[in-house]
Amino acid sequence: MSLLEVKNVTKKFSGLIAVNDVSLTVEAGQIVGVIGPNGAGKTTLFNCIAGALPPTSGSIIFNGKEIAGKKPYEICQLGVTRTFQVVKPFGSKTVLYNTMVGAFAQTQHLHEAEEKALEVLKFLDLDHKKDVVSKSLTLPERKKLELARALATQPKLLLLDEVMAGLRPSEVTEMLPTIRKINQTGVTIVIVEHIMQAIMNLSEKIYVISFGKKIAEGDPHDVVADEEVIKAYLGEEYVATQH
Amino acid sequence: MKNYLNQNPVVLKLTILLLAALFLLPLVVTSPTLMQIFILVILYAYFTSTWNFVGGFAGVLPLGHSAFVGIGAYTSTVLLQTYGLSPWFGMIVGGLLAAIVGVIIGLPTLKLRGAYFALATIAVGEGIRVLFENVKQVGPFKINGPSGISITLTENSFTAFQFDTKAPYYYIILIMLLVVLLLTYYMMNSKIGYYLAAGGEEPEAAEALGIKVSRYKVIAMAISCFLTALGGTFYAQLMLYFYPKSILGLDLSYEIAFIALIGGRGTILGPVLGALLLRPVSELTRIYIGDMLPGLHLVIFGLILIIVMRYYPKGLVVPVKALFNRHIIDRFSKPKRIDESTTTEKAD
Repeated sequence: MSLLEVKNVTKKFSGLIAVNDVSLTVEAGQIVGVIGPNGAGKTTLFNCIAGALPPTSGSIIFNGKEIAGKKPYEICQLGVTRTFQVVKPFGSKTVLYNTMVGAFAQTQHLHEAEEKALEVLKFLDLDHKKDVVSKSLTLPERKKLELARALATQPKLLLLDEVMAGLRPSEVTEMLPTIRKINQTGVTIVIVEHIMQAIMNLSEKIYVISFGKKIAEGDPHDVVADEEVIKAYLGEEYVATQH
Repeated sequence: MKNYLNQNPVVLKLTILLLAALFLLPLVVTSPTLMQIFILVILYAYFTSTWNFVGGFAGVLPLGHSAFVGIGAYTSTVLLQTYGLSPWFGMIVGGLLAAIVGVIIGLPTLKLRGAYFALATIAVGEGIRVLFENVKQVGPFKINGPSGISITLTENSFTAFQFDTKAPYYYIILIMLLVVLLLTYYMMNSKIGYYLAAGGEEPEAAEALGIKVSRYKVIAMAISCFLTALGGTFYAQLMLYFYPKSILGLDLSYEIAFIALIGGRGTILGPVLGALLLRPVSELTRIYIGDMLPGLHLVIFGLILIIVMRYYPKGLVVPVKALFNRHIIDRFSKPKRIDESTTTEKAD
């Protein structure tokens, strides 16, 4: 049984079809990428899985349970945690405080939450910043904090919404091993990303979405060679230069 | 408690000293007028601290908390006047009633954000005042509309919650305040506190981390309303006479919010500091120019609020803490550091 099964999910916004009959499956332990041009509906699909938006139709099964239409906090309690493309730290609080909020998902006790949070911060190499107020962090640090907070909830499935968007190339290359390291601890990851280099490197399997529809899926190298994907995502010019 | 004892020894010693001074105060101050002012400072610190559970930690601005003060006062008083029940019993009943009303109001309104929540609470608060002003009797309970209720004088006793001198009132409200401050401390260092802060600041991110934000806000509202109503009963027993305008009006609601904002909402000491600064202002203006310009104290509060928000948007607790850390803790706790600084100066 797959860990996550998205079946024929459609999301309409009064006439506009943002996600059109998309299906995808994620096996436990995988890193799966979802790519597509701007406005393709990647984040909307994500919002449907994470519960921020209820899908108009279709079904989303996580770990054998139907989660379509459930609230974000219920979905998180079942073991799916997401990060936000536009980072949303609890700005007036410290890095440790932020991470502890996540850790409280698994415990009632302050010291246990603190222990877990410190462990996660150490794992992500952010522990030296633990007493810094989160609004004074740099963007890469904030992105890491987003990860730390999500990871502290001890999810089975982590949904990463453009964690690398806005980072410099050198910062991206720093982030890649971190994500792989998280995956190695047994967390399944679905990652929405713009940056081809990142997603090619990480994913075992890629889904390509364009104008709300899935246009390709499979091994990263096969997907980037696909004519339709190249047209939709990389542009006609790219096709021309390749021939 | 562990964390509390881990505090700097100077802070701990000063806290003990301050507490001792507070408990010994009635032995020194004999003037009932002065005692009354102290009692009111503590009572307002109490109201603001209970308000703080919602207004400080849940990230919303309630502007109708006098409704719960009123519910507390009216409940215990009608139970006393009609059935002769001790105000201590009525206090708990009033608290529970206020919590229920708070939850009923909170369920729809706590989903609103920012100014909308504040406006909704003003509307509900004012609605409750108008209701009390226009109703003379509810079932067996006389509430006398706008003329209010005076509590019949009885003997000086703890069960009757009536005393000849001010000192017992002072001790009761002081202990109530200390208990609420302790509760605040525990809440801030618990899952509820973390979840409230998270939900208040970034509700969307909080929900993604498994927090049912509205549920925690309603819990905070229930706690806050319960505790506020206990203060209402105290107010009734202290004054022995109250009417809707005095206890259910916007004046009181605003004053609580002013104290919190100026002192520092969402902190333990902010409400105490705010009450300490603002309460004397409102007492003095009431005594000296109250006949000419009633409500002048709110104007003054408004001006103070503008200035404080301009320079210390998190309240006066921030600069006061900084001053305290710089001048008191450093001076008394670390003579070592002074040596270090002098030696480095010499080296320079």
